[in-house]
Amino acid sequence: MAIITTHNLSKVYNPDTIPVHALRDVSLEFEEGEFTTVRGPSGSGKTTLLNMIGGLDIPTEGFVEIDGTRITGMKDRELINFRLNNIGFVFQAYNLIPVFTAYENVSFIMLLQKREKSEMKERAEELLTAMGLSKKFDSRPKQLSGGEQQRVAVARALASRPKFILADEPTANLDTDSAMNLLDMMEKMNKEENVTFIFSTHDQRVIDRARRVITMVDGAIFKDERK
Amino acid sequence: MYLKLAWRNIWRNKRRTLITVSSVMFAVVFALFLESLERGAHNVMIDNMTQFHTGYIQVQDYRFEDEPSLDNAFYYDDELSDQVIGLESVEYTIPRIETFMLAAGAEATRGAFVMGVEVDREDRLNNLKERLTEGRFFEPNDGTAVVTEGLANRLNLAVGDSLVLLGQGRFGMTASGLYEISGLLRHPTREMNNQLVYLSLPDAQWLLSADDHITALLVTPNRVRDTESIARQLRSELENEELAVFTWRELIPELVEALEFDQAQSRLMMGILYVVIGFGIFGTILTMTLERMREFGILLSVGMQRIKLALVVFIETFFITIMGVLAGFVLGIIPILYFYFNPIELGGEMEEVVAEFGVEPIMPTAIAPDIFLWQGLMVFILTTIICLYPTIKILTLKILEASKT
Repeated sequence: MAIITTHNLSKVYNPDTIPVHALRDVSLEFEEGEFTTVRGPSGSGKTTLLNMIGGLDIPTEGFVEIDGTRITGMKDRELINFRLNNIGFVFQAYNLIPVFTAYENVSFIMLLQKREKSEMKERAEELLTAMGLSKKFDSRPKQLSGGEQQRVAVARALASRPKFILADEPTANLDTDSAMNLLDMMEKMNKEENVTFIFSTHDQRVIDRARRVITMVDGAIFKDERK
Repeated sequence: MYLKLAWRNIWRNKRRTLITVSSVMFAVVFALFLESLERGAHNVMIDNMTQFHTGYIQVQDYRFEDEPSLDNAFYYDDELSDQVIGLESVEYTIPRIETFMLAAGAEATRGAFVMGVEVDREDRLNNLKERLTEGRFFEPNDGTAVVTEGLANRLNLAVGDSLVLLGQGRFGMTASGLYEISGLLRHPTREMNNQLVYLSLPDAQWLLSADDHITALLVTPNRVRDTESIARQLRSELENEELAVFTWRELIPELVEALEFDQAQSRLMMGILYVVIGFGIFGTILTMTLERMREFGILLSVGMQRIKLALVVFIETFFITIMGVLAGFVLGIIPILYFYFNPIELGGEMEEVVAEFGVEPIMPTAIAPDIFLWQGLMVFILTTIICLYPTIKILTLKILEASKT
């Protein structure tokens, strides 16, 4: 059964002045455990699609269902809560909380979920160790390399035990080694813990690793291939 | 962890935080000192008036207010004294008989305010004995008088000289008496220092043909704050006695008005000061908010509720202001303590102005916890108002737009 379904999603920016069609009638289904890449040139609608799935943007037409729950039209408070408990985000610029250590950044999400302290500790340590950061628990973001920061970001995304992770250009700011290392970690999580990943990317290294590649052009699905 | 987040956030830009904390601190020091000095000056005025003139509560004949004459003195005996002392919260009473007379020495004559008192009781209220600069106080019926220094100088009299008092007694009786000056006294207010003659109560009553009569019975409460409630009790207790009860506020409304006017002026000044502080803090919060819009957007994306985020920003603002306030308290107590023990002595024109009010020309500071509490409360209210800006910003934040900033 699909955990994410988009029904005829369309998004038009500036409808009253110079309309920009960011998405055109996009209907997709994502199964649990997928390792999917959404690719396409700049302005093709990759990020807009991920934002719609993540409930960060509202479609002009159509709607998004996650595990049978229609998130389009949810109230702000409900949606924030839904994101917290169901969706993990990895951003291109890492976006860690600069004043928190790696350990605190990962724990913070669980604090928002009101998890037990002992569970928070165990999970944060487990994830950071799995990401190869066992010696960096107490390091703040500025003391970490780009690759390490992005791994902390992945650990943070996984900490809430989400149904899937949306990663927007996660390797764009990383050198090859860091990017490959990060992809290895994510692939491992996908295979061993059946975590669903959806990437938007230009990066061929990511596309090569994906088992499903969706190509978008001008806001529409151009190709949807499974390897 | 929210506290930790807020605390660390404020130190992201140490210099900015320290500048803001310092500005709050200096404003609090200034506000505390201003308020404390004003309160101290008011206390001097109130103390002078209550201790040497009106007392906190005064019992009079009900006609005395409209016609302050010895004819409207009232009968005073142990029964009345016990009745008043018997009330809860009354510490002691002080009987006085007062009138204006002519005072004369060998060379000069001056108008004088003659006061018949029981020295020991007066001393409890205003430390009268400590004000004696020469000689001794009289005993009841010993035919001596204590004269204030200013009056003694005007009459060219000294201890041991004779003083003649001449005037009108009760119901038109001629009042005249010859007294030996047993002591000289320095009254704290210039006006009274130039005209006061103290006699023992029985001597004054005999002089004024007012045996067992007094013009005022001063009632001193255990705690000053009980003044109004004791006055209410006294009114009901003495309602059939043809006696009227007044608090010091009722007896000297012009002073109360002057104090209120003064207070209003300082409130206005304080208001301006707080607007200045407020803009300082607001500037910092505005910058902190605007430069973190992206971060706010990210925190909302990953699942932090807007209200919790607003709470963190509120805590940050609160931390900055509370540090400023506490530092202000610590620094502010130093000049307050100094001027409490070493009051500013007014000179020149200010001394003249203050003397006209019959008040000692000194300005001590006052040490009162409520001054500090009020400052803390004011800054807290200010912080809350300032926090409306980031709160509104966070509550209306569009996540995608914020994430792109």
